[in-house]
Amino acid sequence: MGRVRIAAARLVFAGFLPALLLASVIDRPAGAADRFPLELKDDRGVTVRFAAPPRRVVSLAPSLTEIVFLLGRDGSLVGVTRFCDVPAAAALPKIGGVSDPDVERIVALSPDLVLCTTDGNPRDKVRTLEEMGIPCFAVAPQDLNGVFTAIERLGILLGAADRGRAEAGALRRRARLARSGFDGAETPAVLFVVSTAPIIAAGEGTFMDELVRLAGGRNAAARFSGRYPRLSVEGLVAARPDVIFVAGMSGVERFPPEVTRWKEVPAFRDDAVITLDGDLVTRPGPRLVTALERVSAALADWRANRPKAPAAGAGGER
Amino acid sequence: MTGGGKGSGAVFPVLASALLGALALSAATGPVSISPRAAFDAIFLGTNDTPARILLSLRLPRSLLGALVGGALAASGVAFQALLRNPLADPYILGVSGGAAVGALTVALFLSADASPLLPLCAFAGAALSALAVFLLARRRSGISPERLILMGVVVGAFLNAVIMLMVTLAPPGKIPGALYWLMGDLGLGTPRRVAVLFPYVALGAVLLYLLSRGLDLLLLGDHAAFQAGLSVERVKTATYLTASLLAGSVVAVSGLIGFVGLIVPHGARVLVGSGHRRLLPAAFLLGGAFLVLSDTLARAVSPSGELPVGAVTALAGAPFFLYLLRRNGGRS
Repeated sequence: MGRVRIAAARLVFAGFLPALLLASVIDRPAGAADRFPLELKDDRGVTVRFAAPPRRVVSLAPSLTEIVFLLGRDGSLVGVTRFCDVPAAAALPKIGGVSDPDVERIVALSPDLVLCTTDGNPRDKVRTLEEMGIPCFAVAPQDLNGVFTAIERLGILLGAADRGRAEAGALRRRARLARSGFDGAETPAVLFVVSTAPIIAAGEGTFMDELVRLAGGRNAAARFSGRYPRLSVEGLVAARPDVIFVAGMSGVERFPPEVTRWKEVPAFRDDAVITLDGDLVTRPGPRLVTALERVSAALADWRANRPKAPAAGAGGER
Repeated sequence: MTGGGKGSGAVFPVLASALLGALALSAATGPVSISPRAAFDAIFLGTNDTPARILLSLRLPRSLLGALVGGALAASGVAFQALLRNPLADPYILGVSGGAAVGALTVALFLSADASPLLPLCAFAGAALSALAVFLLARRRSGISPERLILMGVVVGAFLNAVIMLMVTLAPPGKIPGALYWLMGDLGLGTPRRVAVLFPYVALGAVLLYLLSRGLDLLLLGDHAAFQAGLSVERVKTATYLTASLLAGSVVAVSGLIGFVGLIVPHGARVLVGSGHRRLLPAAFLLGGAFLVLSDTLARAVSPSGELPVGAVTALAGAPFFLYLLRRNGGRS
């Protein structure tokens, strides 16, 4: 624990100078609000007030835990969920899951701040915590940019404002880099599935949908409404994805053979089915940028090796 | 008691054509449009392009599976309602569903990574085991009373439900969606092979139940009267129970838990042909098949977000229709 804290402190120090320079270049008007005592409105519109940076923080989501570590404020973490799998968080007390946090265990840790999300954590439990006098700060990023903003805001809240801006800036640059180089190029039809049996795809309004668009593809599941439409095999054949990403959760990484034998689907014909760590794409945290880099690289690959598809061979209609 | 209560012989041709019509409609519905001409070519000329393959290896197996499952559930429901002398009985009332679910969840959640081939087998094993357990628990030297069967079935079912909740709670999160969809009832697993596997079970079960029709008629009079009429009551009850459980268990194994069909379709069929089982069983089979095929077509056509679980549609679309049917015929069943 102590060693982690020292390492973290060293990281903070190493990041400090460039961050300071960057901050002075960007020159945010909000700069004055960075200092404590601090008043900050969360994504629900609830205002939290702190006289000094919080020192006992409980995180109710893996993405939030990852952000706290990114900010180098993991020394203040006193509780995480059982899904928070940052290696260094292994020794921290577990307060339950994302959808079933144990209020009693959280209270027992006597936190001065609970970080939560609006989609995932049960509202009534968060309200119970607030009624017991524990400030809760909700983060609800809706897209990649929202994640960067969340990192900056949590930086401010946790007393690491400069570090937050620096990290968010670095992630922004990486994201921009990953997106460059395909302007005007072909846009493959991409299907992102979160489950292979049954086939459940990521539709509009998901982070995966945004990753596909940012990487220069178009979401083949956009023709179905709903955030996570369920597809029949026929629906998959009709969507004709060129590339399929499988957001692998344990046990559902592969399509069953009775699905992959549909060579009318270009992705099956050309062997363009790519498995990504499900945690990368479903957690609105810093690693979403890693996911974007992987998706971009895969689509660049597809453009480079794109087989000359026979015009009439693979299925007559539509 | 036996024979046509109401209606004429015309009921069966009408029901059969309803089933055929439902199958045709179901085969014509899907995200890929297939012209009647292409469908004709695929079926009669053996073409092998994409529309033909979609029709023959995706849609028709699914439709046929729906017909088999719906028919089997309805026939099984008829048998349980007669056996337990209870209009609220359905194929799942004696714990078959819970046993099947535990069997399927064991495979889906905790065993191998790609468990789909094992799942139906274990679901069937679970259903058969729990049916047998209920049967043995309920049997006494004096015979099987319907009350004891129901009581044991409900107790075993409650126990298994608790096991299901426990398993879902402890399961690795990534594996839960597949299992939940299966629990809600799913015809999307229809492959030619599954239809071929299910067919002998359903055919055998349906024929056996049909052969038991006279016994089922007599059971409705009560054990004593049935015995007076020369029926070996215990043997008929045992045979009915095991056959109906076989039907329900094999169906659950391939399609998950599809509610409502086995409970309500028998009542609908009674309105049409009366309560003599020689007519009631085939009528319920046809009606159940047509009903489930139509529900599944609706589930695929209505929902813009891919697919709805067919179990939701059977109750949503079926309940109002059957309420109407039952009210119009004023307490006939």
